[in-house]
Amino acid sequence: MFFKKIHKRIKVIILIILFLFVLIIGKVFYIQVISYDKLNNLAESLWSRNLPIEANRGIIYDRNGLILADNLTTTSLVLIPNQIKDKEGTAKALSEILHVSYEDMLGHVMKISSIERVHPEGRRLDFEIADKIINLNLPGVYLVKESKRYYPFDTMLSHTIGFVGIDNQGLSGLELMYNDYLTGSYGAIKYFSDAKGTRLDLSEVYEQPQNGVNITLTINSELQKSLERELDNAVIKYKPDRALGIAMNPNSGEILAIASRPNFSPSNYQDYSTEEINRNLPIWATYEPGSTFKIITLSAALEEKIVDLDNDTFTDTGGITVEGATLHCWKHGGHGLQTYLQVVENSCNPGFVNLGLKLGKETLFEYIKNFGFGSKTGIDLNGEASGIMFDINKIGDLELATTAFGQGVSVTPIQQITAVSAAINGGILYKPYIVKSLNEPETNSVIMQKEKQIVRKVISEETSEKVRYALESVVTNGTGRPAFIDGYRVGGKTGTAQKVSDGHYMVGNYIVSFMGFLPADDPQIVLYIAVDNAKGVTQYGGTIAAPIARNVLLDAISILGIEKRDGASEKKYNYLDKKYYEIPNVIGLNSKEAIKLLKNFKVEFSGTGNIITYQSPSAGERIYEGEKVRLLLTD
Amino acid sequence: MKNKKFDIVLFLTIIIICLFGIIMITSASYIWAEYKFNDPFKFTKNQSFFFLIGLFLMCYISKINYHFYYKNSNKLLLGCIILLILVLIPGIGSIRNGSRSWFGIGSFGIQPSEFTKLALIIFTAKYLENNERDMKSIKKGALPILIITMLIFGLIMLQPDFGTGTIIVMSIIGLLFIGGTKLSFFVKIGFMGLIGITSLIIMAPYRLARILSFLDPWKDPLGSGFQIIQSLYAIGPGGLFGFGFGNSRQKHFYLPEPQTDFIFSIISEEFGFLGIIIISTLFLIIIIRGFKIAINSKELFSKYLAFGIMFQLSFQTILNLMVVVGLIPVTGVTLPFLSYGGSSLLITMISMGIILNISRYQK
Repeated sequence: MFFKKIHKRIKVIILIILFLFVLIIGKVFYIQVISYDKLNNLAESLWSRNLPIEANRGIIYDRNGLILADNLTTTSLVLIPNQIKDKEGTAKALSEILHVSYEDMLGHVMKISSIERVHPEGRRLDFEIADKIINLNLPGVYLVKESKRYYPFDTMLSHTIGFVGIDNQGLSGLELMYNDYLTGSYGAIKYFSDAKGTRLDLSEVYEQPQNGVNITLTINSELQKSLERELDNAVIKYKPDRALGIAMNPNSGEILAIASRPNFSPSNYQDYSTEEINRNLPIWATYEPGSTFKIITLSAALEEKIVDLDNDTFTDTGGITVEGATLHCWKHGGHGLQTYLQVVENSCNPGFVNLGLKLGKETLFEYIKNFGFGSKTGIDLNGEASGIMFDINKIGDLELATTAFGQGVSVTPIQQITAVSAAINGGILYKPYIVKSLNEPETNSVIMQKEKQIVRKVISEETSEKVRYALESVVTNGTGRPAFIDGYRVGGKTGTAQKVSDGHYMVGNYIVSFMGFLPADDPQIVLYIAVDNAKGVTQYGGTIAAPIARNVLLDAISILGIEKRDGASEKKYNYLDKKYYEIPNVIGLNSKEAIKLLKNFKVEFSGTGNIITYQSPSAGERIYEGEKVRLLLTD
Repeated sequence: MKNKKFDIVLFLTIIIICLFGIIMITSASYIWAEYKFNDPFKFTKNQSFFFLIGLFLMCYISKINYHFYYKNSNKLLLGCIILLILVLIPGIGSIRNGSRSWFGIGSFGIQPSEFTKLALIIFTAKYLENNERDMKSIKKGALPILIITMLIFGLIMLQPDFGTGTIIVMSIIGLLFIGGTKLSFFVKIGFMGLIGITSLIIMAPYRLARILSFLDPWKDPLGSGFQIIQSLYAIGPGGLFGFGFGNSRQKHFYLPEPQTDFIFSIISEEFGFLGIIIISTLFLIIIIRGFKIAINSKELFSKYLAFGIMFQLSFQTILNLMVVVGLIPVTGVTLPFLSYGGSSLLITMISMGIILNISRYQK
């Protein structure tokens, strides 16, 4: 009986033991199966030493797939001090190759860390140096791939694209703004080591680096090159303090080209002052716009139907008195009796003052605000300024009057071009943008596509059409004549603004500008050029900025494939202008008849004979009076 | 009285698990051994040597009638107590791993506490048989033997060796449990223990944090959590089938002395969950067959002796495994048969010899 009791208790003990074994096996199962991933990752990071492989930074493309910011593959030195047995020898050899002092190198080699870099001498090594290090074949000395940013067009778009630092981190421009996208993640060659850092005889694991996201810009490189070239020429010619240009697609807000002078070389950004580097003038600079601002006043007046361009008239006596102050027209003595179309063509200040007063301050400033002035446009670039407006409560008639022709307000170039785009595109204000899409790094397929973004409708389609008509007229017959391109219907407006320093207008120091677009019946491009303090020349927007704009617009015609237009408003010529003539067909005629027909041109014959079999340029082309026409004669 | 052959299944299982232990000690220790002694098979050789002696002793002892221990139980325990006192004297006992619990003989070490484990079980088994009637009374039955046990526990804690001390106390409590002591007594002991632990925690709340630190070893990864984290890093990545024999990574200096307390982690790493199932099966064969021998034993003394030995072995095994898998805090107990250690292997095999001998006299 007593045995039975003992046996019962022994069986209880056996059951407890069995239960504990089940518990232990269950825990092992939990560790090995349920938390396998977690523990395996932790353990692997304990066992493995990583030789980091840098990912490529995202590539920046223009809208046509041309590379604007690329990567070059270089190598960098990585030391694993635990694996270096001959510390002195290794330090000596490396210090000689890299031109680092022996003591410094010994410090790196002796350092108690799993991975040691020699910074900056051991970074981004030249091929020859890398080759020398490889040939040493030292244990614990490794070369790993690193990539280096490369800007194939150097200074082109420098402010906009920005630049990167030694660790490929974006420091300015788009490189900074989109740094999180552009930066990839490190890959690694993992090898296993024991707790003392000695390499184990286990196979290495290669972890592919994840390259950064590519970015496609709205920039058209061909147009950008044209703009950069023209600004360079302007800098050589006029030695201005600053110069800038922007080209925009008025129907979407896409930036097609954007440039500043002075600019810089992003690979050598250390050589420039922070002002030069950081000021992306088209979005940063704020100044009095001058007459280009009259487009806003004109749009408001037309939308409010307070003026009929062709039938209403204004007599300019050379000045207009507002609240006891006389505001002069730029033309001494005034323009006399004009239609309002002529007021616009002549950029007549008193005429615009009259329009401003008719509109009243509430209405005009409402339009100014709706056109986007006084607040940032929201373009996807950093460093944008918002400009300065009059406080609406402190505006008297004088402030209203000067604002109407572009004085007393301070705006940015991007605000102006965005507003003018709205004025001529049918009245829709778009948010300007420069990043067209983000693209997957391997296939370059689109991850995120940016679409045009409407901010608001500012004026009606009819009003916009009238604005285009008036501005085309400015180029055909008015102050914008130097921008005229025969057959392509250029519209535009000049501007000459005095600069303010210490509350006074500076003498002989202007920002001259031109806002142009084409074709005037269906604008495909708006271009704004501004030159600050041009030297050795009469500073008018028409004489300096308009010719620059014309050259860029000429390039734009072929780059954007813009068709020749009919129905242009006929140009009225003054005595200074060269005239265009259409070339008649002279093929099949004899030389005398040809000379007679080509009286407006210079004629050059080649070949022998009487009959003309070929002419260049061909019939129907329009060229300047006195230009050469080549004819081929045969028997 | 001698009539039967011993339990051949138990005998073979012991041989298999010991040989497997030597193989695993080789795999786990050769990195350490090479680093420390310039001899990768240092631990393998030592363990093999003790295994051969142990095997001889086991076979020899399986032939010695267990009544021998009944007669000599007092002398055996007295001898062990004397050794336990001697080992505390500097110059005689030497310190290893922070405990003065060794007699150094050449490069080998002998731990008297290991032999005490067995001697006290023999003594208690005899005591229980002699005082069968008194076991219902706490004062006359359980208390005297508990006093002797606590005395020995005290001596061992002077070394100090908490793990061995706990095993000794627990195996005596286990013996008292089957020896007929009233259940209310164990409830009282448990209750007192609970009060003791609670008051210790109230006096110094940081103790609770320390006790519970094994639940989240990552709180102190380089201190109290270090060993258990290293153990989990071995067990976890082993997965279902392990890295394969010889391919443990944690033995490369990550897990300190991987051939001793944490050999189970290395087995898990190299053979995975499958290996753990096989090892557990081997242990359970030994444990269940051992307890069966106790149950089938005709005499009270041999029943108590067999149970005591098997309970102690099971308790030590479970204590080690629970530490290694992170179920309880680290106590520093080796895994019978598998962990490296001469005294531990010898005494385990001697104990098994006694079990085998008892198996000869079954109903």
